[in-house]
Amino acid sequence: MKSMLMGLAAFALASAATAVQAQERQVNMAVSIPAADHGWTGGVVYHAERAKKTLEARYPGLKITVKTSPDGATQANALEDLTAQGIDALVTLPHNSDELTDPIRQVKEKGVFVTVVDRALSDPTIQDLYVAGNNPELGRVAGEYIKKELGGKGDIVVIRGLPIVIDEERQKGFDEGIKGSDIKVLDRQFGNWSRDDAFKVMQDYLAKYKKIDAVWCQDDDMAVGVLEAIQQADRTDIKFVVGGAGMKEMIKRVADGDSMIPVDVLYPPAMIATAMELTAGNFYDQVPVRGSYILDATLVTKENAQEFYFPDSPF
Amino acid sequence: MSNTTVVQTRRRSISDIDLRAVAPFVALAVLFGFGAMVNPNFLGLDNLTNVVTRSAFIAIIAVGATFVISAGGLDLSVGSMSAFVAGTMILFLNSGAVSGDTGMIATAMLLALATGALCGLANGLITTLGRIEPFIVTLGTMGIFRALTIYLAEGGSIAIKSQELRAAYRPIYFSDVLGVPIPVIMILVVAALGAFILYRTRFGRHVTAVGSNEEVARYSGISVNRVRTLTYVIQGVCVAIAVLIYVPRLGAATATTGLLWELQAITAVVIGGTALRGGVGRIWGTICGALILELVGNIMVLSDLVSEYLIGAVQGSIIIIAMLIQRSLGRR
Amino acid sequence: MSEIPPPSPVDPPAAKTLLETEGISKSFGPVEVLRDIGLRLAPGEVHAIIGENGAGKSTLMKILSGHLAPSKGTLKVNGEQITFTGPVDAEERGIVLVHQEILLAPDLTVAQNIYLGRELRKGIVLDERAMAEGAYRAVLDLGADIDPATVVNRLSIAQRQLVQIARALLVPHQIVIFDEPTASLTPVETKALLKVISAIKAKNAAILYISHRLPEVKTIADRVTVLRDGNLVGTYEAADLEPMDMARLMVGRDVSKLYPERAGAKAGETVLEVENMNVPGFARNAGFSLKHGEILGFAGLIGAGRTELLEGVLGLRPAQGTVRLNGNPVHFKDARQSMQAGIVYLSEDRKGKGLLLGQNLKINLTLAGLDKFVRGILIDRKREDRALDEAIRDFDIRTGNRDLLAGQLSGGNQQKLLLAKMMLLGPKIVVIDEPTRGIDIGTKEQIYKFITGLAAEGKSVIVISSEMPELIGVCDRIIVMRNGEIAGEVSGEHMTEAEIVVLATGATKREAALVAETA
Repeated sequence: MKSMLMGLAAFALASAATAVQAQERQVNMAVSIPAADHGWTGGVVYHAERAKKTLEARYPGLKITVKTSPDGATQANALEDLTAQGIDALVTLPHNSDELTDPIRQVKEKGVFVTVVDRALSDPTIQDLYVAGNNPELGRVAGEYIKKELGGKGDIVVIRGLPIVIDEERQKGFDEGIKGSDIKVLDRQFGNWSRDDAFKVMQDYLAKYKKIDAVWCQDDDMAVGVLEAIQQADRTDIKFVVGGAGMKEMIKRVADGDSMIPVDVLYPPAMIATAMELTAGNFYDQVPVRGSYILDATLVTKENAQEFYFPDSPF
Repeated sequence: MSNTTVVQTRRRSISDIDLRAVAPFVALAVLFGFGAMVNPNFLGLDNLTNVVTRSAFIAIIAVGATFVISAGGLDLSVGSMSAFVAGTMILFLNSGAVSGDTGMIATAMLLALATGALCGLANGLITTLGRIEPFIVTLGTMGIFRALTIYLAEGGSIAIKSQELRAAYRPIYFSDVLGVPIPVIMILVVAALGAFILYRTRFGRHVTAVGSNEEVARYSGISVNRVRTLTYVIQGVCVAIAVLIYVPRLGAATATTGLLWELQAITAVVIGGTALRGGVGRIWGTICGALILELVGNIMVLSDLVSEYLIGAVQGSIIIIAMLIQRSLGRR
Repeated sequence: MSEIPPPSPVDPPAAKTLLETEGISKSFGPVEVLRDIGLRLAPGEVHAIIGENGAGKSTLMKILSGHLAPSKGTLKVNGEQITFTGPVDAEERGIVLVHQEILLAPDLTVAQNIYLGRELRKGIVLDERAMAEGAYRAVLDLGADIDPATVVNRLSIAQRQLVQIARALLVPHQIVIFDEPTASLTPVETKALLKVISAIKAKNAAILYISHRLPEVKTIADRVTVLRDGNLVGTYEAADLEPMDMARLMVGRDVSKLYPERAGAKAGETVLEVENMNVPGFARNAGFSLKHGEILGFAGLIGAGRTELLEGVLGLRPAQGTVRLNGNPVHFKDARQSMQAGIVYLSEDRKGKGLLLGQNLKINLTLAGLDKFVRGILIDRKREDRALDEAIRDFDIRTGNRDLLAGQLSGGNQQKLLLAKMMLLGPKIVVIDEPTRGIDIGTKEQIYKFITGLAAEGKSVIVISSEMPELIGVCDRIIVMRNGEIAGEVSGEHMTEAEIVVLATGATKREAALVAETA
């Protein structure tokens, strides 16, 4: 993540130096993202809107349209509508890779510059630019941290998200992270990336297992419910909870040295802004941007937490 | 001589029990037995308390849904309404409009109840005065309430900012009176009140009549629109009551708050023996239905019977089996 | 009291019997509703089955048409002993039942209804043209001209009935069972239906005909079988029986005084005045007045706007006009307001607008007058129970079990329950729409007594009816409506069927006399 941020800084410098007439070039950029149906996607919408403001200010010729869609089918329709208005670039975070590969392919065939964020398409040749967090790495970092903290031995429980690719990747990464240790995963259940559901699942875990050393719940939203369930049960056997994504409340707890939330693993919704910035750069700054940009799944600890704390973000 | 009389009356009273009304309780008992077999921890006091406590939201909302459905209506907006009421309530709590934590919380509670009642009133008036199918009206308001919540949250979550306020409000969900958690007391109070209104008052009788046959009700001098509208208001108030105990649990309203609660509430009502076509309302059956729904989820997590991918299928099957038990008992 | 004629000695000879039953009995649980019934049916005869409600007519018909299996006894069709497996089996043997209720899909067309479940096809595609032609011919055979593409809910009740008959007759048949086919028909329509029955008879089929309208039975039937309380009273030649004899055989006692004596109606003060009443689509410029202690009749063909006019006056449907109650102008917006003013309306549609069929007797009884049973905010259940006891006693509601649902009562008992429900409000004016539709003669007598009793107590009564004898029998005055307007009024010695028909149809006196004869 650090290296990525430095890259961006360099980028901003480069853009400042670019010739003025290039900045007045008319470019229409469409941003198609999921509607804010949970905390993380809420963050995506927030960062997309914010990046729209800063980028449009920086490049007077740039016009950005942000469109949110509640599900895959609606997003496919939205893509058609956006294309019909005539666009030069598309930045999209697809609901679902398989479903949206063909609709995005059709956009691409119109000669549009396509940037895909977070969820890779089934056919990677479509995208000009791919910006994503590192899902397997998010799982692996969390797993390795737990392995280290528990001294390679202990009983843990896992709360998964929804049964989709991202969840599977994180799961696999996590299993790799704890491989070779005596850490036993007592149970894995879906918490649907929802605080309420995670609360219920955690209550049930607590009833089922008399001793749990740590919890991995793969998302900070769910960590909120988990912490509440543990607090209610007055259980002291649980040493800590590891979430993920970098929700501001959780980062704050890490920074404050909360022993239940010692770390967090980054998977920032701000990646949409990164993608928009890079895409704009393709048009206004003569810098090659095609390729894949994978952001690190940085482990946030008490020492570096302040760097990742954005109190104004909704997430 | 007197002996035979006693025997006869007893026999008669047993055969007089409406088996359809008892069926949900039978299903609940069967589920208890099953749970105990699957995992001995199931019958632990902590676990059962947890399950009953967290069924409170759906149970309380479903009491309102029993009124709406008994009167021949339907409300799909309750889930989104919960999120909206919770959101506005927390925003008010964050506004610091009233000084003193207790006063603040009490005012916010009243505000939430009023908001819920108004949301219900809107559903009721649009349905009755606009003469639009309740399915469509509440599908529309479902989207409206949800979108308003997300708008208020600016895409994120609305959380109680003040830690002191949060701490002061928290016991409403987590504390108990003589060992009975407050949400459980709320279930009992709301259900008893609902049963009283539905079975013992004129309004309740009118609800049943309107749901049985709107025309007969009209020809009997009952204001059908007024009765229908009031059932939606009751639904709104029930949603607000559920929110009163939802907010202290996690202290926040998010985009996923109340997601699919409308379907769970309707399922609880139907499992409880209330007819979807209206005319029959069973409040205690509804409570039973809400418990069944929550127990099924709990048993699934406690057991190691099926893969986590198949839990939904098992839950669906158990609900269908509960309904089949009810049907076969009802038919005799 | 005339002498009861002997049962008809001549049953058809065995060789000519289409259908024969022997010792048919039927029990529901411990209750035997039909006992030892023997019946023979010959080709080309119209055989009427009469009896009070609860006499077992419907049960017998259901057994003969395969809807129910008998508990005891044998059934022979064309001399062959048969056990029906169901109504379809009976139909395949040529026995069809024309139901009393209209069982058509209202949103489908005439042709689609007639061929429902037995659609004609070309390969896998529906043969719409053949079905339209077939449907048109089937209806034409019954003497009616209905476009087969018409959607059923746009037809009149009589037309729907014809479509239903056409549908039944589409299967090859040798026995046709009619269950009260004329219950909701006007005299003119009834006459047309009787013609249809004669046509079926002419094709050598046998007809079983159930009806409460005894003059009609006298006109159409060759032989008459009377049932009483599940027992066979006997089979008679129709020629030997007058309607009054039939009634006596059904009830088992003298019923010559069906209509109670009126102790000379005293013309009291005018209590209700209606002027220039307009009910959009149904009634125009209608006006009438009602006096204290008076029984006022409303006659007219079905669709003449009688029901709608009164519903308009009472606020049950949108209407404009002047209504004065005891001289004070009033405008009722809904039933609640008219009830509070002391006027109740008993709908002709007992099942659709009068009673909650799926609820018990108590809930039905107290529904309109619930205010009287509320203590504080509680419903006083004990008082409700007492009210039900009183209603069962005062209105002679015959039910073995107080916990029955209203839908489980017979038509007559439903009407009594509806009466009891509305009387709980203590009304001053009672409007009764079709008070005896589908009700047996014994109950009719009770209801007439009750109506005249109300007038004697000083209440005013409006009776809307399609049965002219009953209006003439109980009313002081009769207003006749035609096409939404008041066509005239008859009273005293002018209250005759012929005069009413003249006003109701606008026909000449001679035509009217012909129609009145069959009704």
